[in-house]
Amino acid sequence: MPDPRVLLGDKPEKRVLLLGNEAIARGALEAGIGVVTTYPGTPASEIADSISEIAADAGLYMEYSVNEIVAVEVAAGAASCGVRALTAMKHVGLNVASDMVMTLAYAGVRGGYVIVTADDPECYSSQNEQDNRFYALLSNLPCLEPSNPQEAKDMTLTAIEISEKLELPVLLRTTTRVSHTRGPVTYGKLSTPNLKGKFIKDVKRLVMVPANSRPKHEVLLRAMEKAKEISETSPHNNVVRKSKSKELGIISSSSAYNYATEAADLLGLDASILKLGMTHPLPEKMIEEYLKEHRKVIIVEELEPYLEMQVKAIAKDKAPDVDICGKMSKRYFPKEGEFSTLVVAKGLAVITGKELPVDFRKIKEKYAEVSKDLPARPPILCAGCPHRASLYDIRKTVGDKAIFATDIGCYALGIAPPLNVGDIMICMGASIGTAQGISKATDESTFAIIGDSTFFHAGIPGLINAVYNNHKIVIVVLDNLTTAMTGHQPHPGTGVTGMRSASKKVLIEKVAEGCGVKYVRVVDPFKVSETETAVKEALQHPGPSVLVFRAPCALVAVREKRSKGVRIEAYKTTDKCTNCMACIRLLGCPALTVENGKVNIDETLCTACGLCISVCPYKAIGGNS
Amino acid sequence: MKTDEFNIVLSGVGGQGTLLAAEILGTAAVKEGLNVRVSEIHGMAQRGGAVVSTVRIGENVQAPTILEGQADVLIGFEPIETVRSLRFASEKTVVLMSDERISPSELAAKEMSYPDMEGIVEKIHRFTGKIIIVETEKLAREAGSTLSQNIVLLGALAATEKVPIKNESLIQAVEALVPSKHVNMNVKAFELGYEYVKKMKVHV
Repeated sequence: MPDPRVLLGDKPEKRVLLLGNEAIARGALEAGIGVVTTYPGTPASEIADSISEIAADAGLYMEYSVNEIVAVEVAAGAASCGVRALTAMKHVGLNVASDMVMTLAYAGVRGGYVIVTADDPECYSSQNEQDNRFYALLSNLPCLEPSNPQEAKDMTLTAIEISEKLELPVLLRTTTRVSHTRGPVTYGKLSTPNLKGKFIKDVKRLVMVPANSRPKHEVLLRAMEKAKEISETSPHNNVVRKSKSKELGIISSSSAYNYATEAADLLGLDASILKLGMTHPLPEKMIEEYLKEHRKVIIVEELEPYLEMQVKAIAKDKAPDVDICGKMSKRYFPKEGEFSTLVVAKGLAVITGKELPVDFRKIKEKYAEVSKDLPARPPILCAGCPHRASLYDIRKTVGDKAIFATDIGCYALGIAPPLNVGDIMICMGASIGTAQGISKATDESTFAIIGDSTFFHAGIPGLINAVYNNHKIVIVVLDNLTTAMTGHQPHPGTGVTGMRSASKKVLIEKVAEGCGVKYVRVVDPFKVSETETAVKEALQHPGPSVLVFRAPCALVAVREKRSKGVRIEAYKTTDKCTNCMACIRLLGCPALTVENGKVNIDETLCTACGLCISVCPYKAIGGNS
Repeated sequence: MKTDEFNIVLSGVGGQGTLLAAEILGTAAVKEGLNVRVSEIHGMAQRGGAVVSTVRIGENVQAPTILEGQADVLIGFEPIETVRSLRFASEKTVVLMSDERISPSELAAKEMSYPDMEGIVEKIHRFTGKIIIVETEKLAREAGSTLSQNIVLLGALAATEKVPIKNESLIQAVEALVPSKHVNMNVKAFELGYEYVKKMKVHV
């Protein structure tokens, strides 16, 4: 990864290769944003991560908040004092933050405030593929949609500008293919972060009791009328390509725009393209004119027909004769999954009657032949991962006689064989709550499996609920001392802050005790028999119990060893090995492979965690020496 | 099809350094004033799973991902993953493949061995005859660390003289992006990969 200090480069016009997310971070620096908050989540993480690395040098404040709503609260508090702020989160994070965001739209802000929501079409790293542009409609907040890293940077600045003009937070909505695309970005000028502001007391504006909310709702609607004017003249909304015949038009935004342009070229279409960068509120007059100029208009957008619904509403009143094609009445394009140039080209080909210049079906058939017996390679728990030990320990103790509510994090990969731990998983923190309902409804042994960062994020209210209502569940907190899945960000249990300074650790076991849990144990999951005892005792306990399984993430542990120059001596099978396959069948560790019927330990992957030694019935695995 | 763009697919296993290799290519392209898009997948998909990055160079390139059959070069960091990305290949594609095999867990679960290399090469041949197999592990070890196999492949790529980027730009990008204490080792890895392919005297 590039040195994040690249983002502090003070040469305007410099052209640098940046990830979309890094470009947003650069935009924040150019906009003089003083407060950046986040809860990490793919595909948004690198926005705040790159800021965290340079926050002290840049002179701004950055924090990893405990969850997304707290992140918005902290930033909104600062923005209400006139400080410019940015909060970054993944799409589902906005669900968590939505309670605050919906009414913050009424109260408004004084300093410019950008809320970045990174959507994940195709669920590359997410539990759903919701289209967060609807939050813009729902909340009445302006929304910008960049299509590449340069625009991601530029629109961060535009968002701050609009936010201050309207005194409203502005949503900046990306997708995986914007956030995680690298492209050239030309720098603008850096600004000095405005870190300090003034809180001006104004109860009517800031205290959202009904008597104040009613008039503030009107204020919000008036601001959105102004936002429409901004949208009409925004440089981000424009016809980027004109057709010769005026027959065919394409309206598109975000990553879909890139595919639309290339697909139109692939088919050799004579089509004009209206590119929308500000998609809430839409430039209605601009769209009206565009519709009137064309006989047929195709809407190309990923996920929901957000633009199509609104464009059709405009057309009904203003341009009823134009033929609008998208995904509503006829599904020329899918609503699910991410787009590609091919997906868009296929839809455009059907609508226009053009032929694809390449026989993609032939490629597909040929590919199907060579790939049909190819072994799958889904993501799995890493070699040496403490979660493997934890989930193995639990399985070993309870066998098949338990129900496992699991949660969002690497350990969700434990649903794969041979561990098979995970029977229900919905959203952050839900393991603890769903386990309670399952336990009540079945009287079976019920476990909630939750990671450390997820526990802090959304687990604690559920824990208190379990204590107060005396639900008999075993809550296992898999504490690998980091937020692993999203790139090893700190959390309250790590003792490190977003400013990279030290802080006092919040200990999960103390939280549990403080909430009134009577059975709390901390164990090392690699000590299999001790862990087994703790699980048995927890199951015997009449109320909720908490087991903290604590061992560092293997990726972090290996990295630390490497940086200290400590050699990792991989384990080997000895001549006692009978190739009984117990280690393979019980653990599913990627370092354990089979070559010609024999067990082999991959020395480049093995981290010498020793879990396979614990399960080998013949004591046939040993050290290198 | 358009000829004013150059498309590279990097296909491997999470942890093999495909992301870094793609970023090096993109950085070198920007250094030469070219337009480029690099696609990456982060997060859950990275955990030992199959990962594909793409690098597209060309003035009119906008989408970060590549159309089926349109790769100019397919860099396979691992044989099975090379086959998995063959949908991007056609007769024009140069396949640069590491011989480093990483057994997918599914094989171990079924107590099966890794498929034989002849079968893998035969499958690639159904798409293109332009295959170069690189002994990345051996060369990276010689350079100083097996972790530099991704850079060995970049050196090998440079030796094919297919990419519209100068060698010195690629080496500068390697120097800029690898950890400072490993710069010499990685430059060595690049050179070893380069020489390995040059010595083959293949025409692709």
